[in-house]
Amino acid sequence: MRLAPISFVSRRVLKSLKELLWTHVLTAGTMTMTLFIFGGFLLIQENLHGLLRGWGSQVQVFAYLESELSSEALDALIKRVRSYPEVESVGYVSKAEAWEKFRRSLGAQSGVLEGLKADILPASLEITLTASHRSRVAAEGLAQRLRAAQGIGEVEYPEEWVEKLGLLVLGIQWTKWVLGGFLFVATLLIVGSTVRLAFLAREDEIEIMQLVGAPARLIKAPFVIEGMVQGVVGASLALFGLWLVFLLLRERIPPSLAIFVPGDAVRFLDLRSAVVLLLLGLAMGTGGSLFALRKFLKRWGR
Amino acid sequence: MVRLFRVSKIYPPNYPALVDVHLQIDKGEFVFLSGPSGAGKTTLLKLLFRQEEATEGQIIVNGRNITRLNGAGVAGLRQELGLVFQEFRLLPSLTALENVALAAEVVGTPRRESRRKAFNLLRELGLKDKHDCKPPALSGGEQQRVAIARALVNDPILVLADEPTGNLDAEMAEETMRLLLRIHERGTTVLIATHDTGLLERFSYRVVYLQRGRLMGDSKQPCEEGSV
Repeated sequence: MRLAPISFVSRRVLKSLKELLWTHVLTAGTMTMTLFIFGGFLLIQENLHGLLRGWGSQVQVFAYLESELSSEALDALIKRVRSYPEVESVGYVSKAEAWEKFRRSLGAQSGVLEGLKADILPASLEITLTASHRSRVAAEGLAQRLRAAQGIGEVEYPEEWVEKLGLLVLGIQWTKWVLGGFLFVATLLIVGSTVRLAFLAREDEIEIMQLVGAPARLIKAPFVIEGMVQGVVGASLALFGLWLVFLLLRERIPPSLAIFVPGDAVRFLDLRSAVVLLLLGLAMGTGGSLFALRKFLKRWGR
Repeated sequence: MVRLFRVSKIYPPNYPALVDVHLQIDKGEFVFLSGPSGAGKTTLLKLLFRQEEATEGQIIVNGRNITRLNGAGVAGLRQELGLVFQEFRLLPSLTALENVALAAEVVGTPRRESRRKAFNLLRELGLKDKHDCKPPALSGGEQQRVAIARALVNDPILVLADEPTGNLDAEMAEETMRLLLRIHERGTTVLIATHDTGLLERFSYRVVYLQRGRLMGDSKQPCEEGSV
């Protein structure tokens, strides 16, 4: 495109943004809401995924020991557990260490433990599985054998709810696309309405432009650019809003959850997701404009 | 310059606006298209600048068959034409200068050059002091002169005027006609649709007469100005 049309189109875009400011603000706001909701789901999904990946890489089985276990019996038990083929390592956590760990995890809230005896938590074995045995079936088989062993009270392994959480992530992923799909269609229609309003506001001007031989691309370009601007502004505001909400919520993770979700493990959208969100905004703005333009220009036989 | 071969236009459901029209207008001619209301004058002009498509027949403008043009082709055709309408069709929010310059700018003329051309034309048409006025502040005659300036700003090869004096009093109508004659004298082909028989008597140029969509007469006579 030569410079003259670029300058012409730029002036028309600025003029429209000025004259129909509130219409454009409303449309960009709608896009912000849509992309905020979509981005919110993306954020939750990414973080749950991250947590799952973290947990999945260190599948452990926790065997809580009975209180009256002698040190000889404990050594024998550890030795035996180490000999199981699915076991990579075994760590012993004494009652005192378990108490200290729990107290630390509560952080500022640890005052609630005041008055309680330091030996109320059982000692335990933290058993890490070998890479080839990091599955629910292997963990379950090992747990059964451990339960039968002398000196072991309860056995827990997180794999069961890791899988449940995996299902939750899948659910969030699908909800994101289904809800996102509905919102996108609604937003496209709203963008289309804005373009229609802009068109009606400039109907006479466009008709005269057509009569004097303005190329279709020159007539379309300002509307498409306006849609793109709305999309990028909407997406940027959505990202900014998500970031603010993220900061606010990260500071407020309840201590009880902090054991499972440490503050530094929660992350904002990565660059790729942020770019995807921006591109979605751009696509919605451009798509909505082109859709409405096609309808209008068809009506006018161009 | 303009050739129509057996051109018909039928509006839905079945209203024939033009029927089997043959017409030839040579380069540099000044032609009145006359006839009563509903004769098909405006339809014929609309076919020439492709606001409407012919139902049947072929139309050649400046050596190009315009019956099967795509969007870009229509834009290209209109860039070679100058259009003048009865109701002026000026944008009320723009000044006279901006109205004229817009037509130049949309076909790719740089802004400064467009404004310079627009200003020169307005000066030539006697609107030098009114170039900054918006259409509502201008008289009917002045508005029509702005519209003529807009039609001329891209140096058209053919000017199509649809009842250009229809909204003007006798004096303004006279002045507008003289302007169109000046354009013709420069070598531009001019086709004017009018039902004003007084105009045809005062300006003795070729008259093509339409009635109920059919070409009923064509007085291809030498141009002798009448009793002005």
